[in-house]
Amino acid sequence: MQITGQLTLTVLMGLFLVIIAAWLARIEDWRSYTPLGSGGAAGESGYVSQEKPTGISRWLTTVDHKDIGMLYGAYGVLAFVVGGLMIMVMRVELLDPGMTLISNSFYNSLLTSHGITMLFLFGTPIIAAFANYLVPLLIGADDMAFPRINAIAFWLLPPGALLIWAGFFPLGDIIPAQTAWTLYTPLSTGAGGGNQANAGVDLMILGLHLTGVSATMGSINFIATIITERAEEVTWANLDIFSWTILTQSGLILFAFPLLGSALLMLLLDRNLGTSFFAIEAGGTMLWQHLFWFFGHPEVYILVLPPMGIVSYVLPRFAGRRLFGFKFVVYSTLAIGVLSFGVWAHHMFATGMDPRLRASFMAVSMAIAIPSAVKTFNWITTLWNGKVRLTTPMLFCVGFVSNFILGGVTGVFLASIPVDLVLHDTYYVVGHFHYVVMGAIAFAGFAGLYYWFPMFTGRMYQRRLGKIHFWTWMIGSNITFLAMIVLGYGGMPRRYATYLPKFATFHQLATLGALLMFVGGLVWTYNFVVSWLEGPRVQDGDPWNLRDDGMYTNEWQWFQDRQETAITDGGDEDVVADGGTEE
Amino acid sequence: MATKVFDRDTLLDLTVNFIPLFILLFFLVGYFVYNPFKLGSTERILQYMLLATPFVLLAILTYLSGKAIASTEKSSPVYMPGAATVDGAEPIEDEHEE
Repeated sequence: MQITGQLTLTVLMGLFLVIIAAWLARIEDWRSYTPLGSGGAAGESGYVSQEKPTGISRWLTTVDHKDIGMLYGAYGVLAFVVGGLMIMVMRVELLDPGMTLISNSFYNSLLTSHGITMLFLFGTPIIAAFANYLVPLLIGADDMAFPRINAIAFWLLPPGALLIWAGFFPLGDIIPAQTAWTLYTPLSTGAGGGNQANAGVDLMILGLHLTGVSATMGSINFIATIITERAEEVTWANLDIFSWTILTQSGLILFAFPLLGSALLMLLLDRNLGTSFFAIEAGGTMLWQHLFWFFGHPEVYILVLPPMGIVSYVLPRFAGRRLFGFKFVVYSTLAIGVLSFGVWAHHMFATGMDPRLRASFMAVSMAIAIPSAVKTFNWITTLWNGKVRLTTPMLFCVGFVSNFILGGVTGVFLASIPVDLVLHDTYYVVGHFHYVVMGAIAFAGFAGLYYWFPMFTGRMYQRRLGKIHFWTWMIGSNITFLAMIVLGYGGMPRRYATYLPKFATFHQLATLGALLMFVGGLVWTYNFVVSWLEGPRVQDGDPWNLRDDGMYTNEWQWFQDRQETAITDGGDEDVVADGGTEE
Repeated sequence: MATKVFDRDTLLDLTVNFIPLFILLFFLVGYFVYNPFKLGSTERILQYMLLATPFVLLAILTYLSGKAIASTEKSSPVYMPGAATVDGAEPIEDEHEE
């Protein structure tokens, strides 16, 4: 009976492969589908001149870097909303020391998903959104080097998200993972049974793996694009700072993410096939932490470098002068890229690792603070005596610098072993990295969203609402994260759903800040949706009046060219019939 | 060749990376002079490798990137970063030239 079953399965699989082979054979000329004219063998690339399909087909089949950028952006923002709602539930639960609104295990599930969602489903994709849309425009390329790989890289993400969130869907016995985003073994190997042995953890690991594959494909594409597709005028000496940070970030992804993939596969094998990579008696707990953090620390810089690039790019536009010490910022970006691979064990100071190794990791962690600090001084010096215009993107840039200083300085203390041993696993650490990931990275992301909103949508947002959004977030984030730092000093351990009553006041303060940010988030959503639909149309290719200060850049030039072409096409706009008479 | 590409201004730009290199060197020497743990063990070797590897890699990358940027600066016009393809873009004056 069993043999018959296997036989049937083999035959079915064989049939399936034959069908695929037959289908592949039916596609006569692969070259004819190549979107790049140069790739066609004999002028068969007729698809280039075709209009894009309309409606949903456009978005499902697009290989245009701008469309894919928009897809990444929509995906990232959606994930941000999901991750944000998750933390709101958690923060409300933390108003009270005991277990009230949700169960402790559900809190653990939200904690795990909030971390993974924000890092892998919001952080990396929102950066890819900017990079996809802007890098080819900034370097004068027609498109990404590999447009189809670009599309595949994006389309791996939605299934990744579904797998990561699978436990929250009503799927029989599957429950959400409760391992925290670091997936520390032996908890995550499921050795102890219970919730951690549930298939929800396996699905989350598979989802993580997919997002890692996606990021790796994207990074190869960016490296190839920036190195080979630059316009003749765009040399290494005048490559913009955002593209520099994307190049460095892509290098980090290329070396870090495959390691995460391997470690995740080993974890899956341990969980499902009885291997013992991470067996406790063989030192597997330390092995996992080394493997994970060898990826995990560069991941921090994968997330922070491009936002630094956005700030380095946007901030000078509203300071009316070029970035101070441009080359300092470039070299320090590269320095961070290299040093980020030498600091991973500062996440493991409290594990009982050899003190000699620990000392070395401390030294490199101290050294990496320099390039970050250099950037900060460059931003401040750019503002010095500048013609500062406090537009919403500029406010977010300044907010970034302010929050990054707080996040950075608290981090320097943690790099010191004696201090870390006291503060390890407390809310101090949570406050520190939230200053960086939310206070800095997300702020820079929103600076970018506001700055390029006119380009993405052809419309302008409501300025007053933009500023309300900024101030609610600036005040809210500082209330929340400062409260976390104080909680950490008091000894409040991280990751717990309940706490001692003495911590209640600062937890309530943290929740208050979170609520403020929630309100700001609502304002932002309303502003962007309404402005996208009904906002005033941008009239020229220079909505920020950058030309006045000589700060006009390539992507806005492209935008202007596109607008002029659109008008020539004779849409339903007020056509400028007397073009050319004004100048 | 060093004098041609790595002139005074380029070296000044690269100081930003010399500082972390110096910090690494400081600890390399420091741990050599004063180390409370016994000599000759694998961990001791690893300890130095963890400092020496980033040092060497950072030095190499700094050299390569400095060379790439400085040599293109000398061989082709330098526009404002991100503004090379703007209509009517003019090369910027090199701030180092006096």
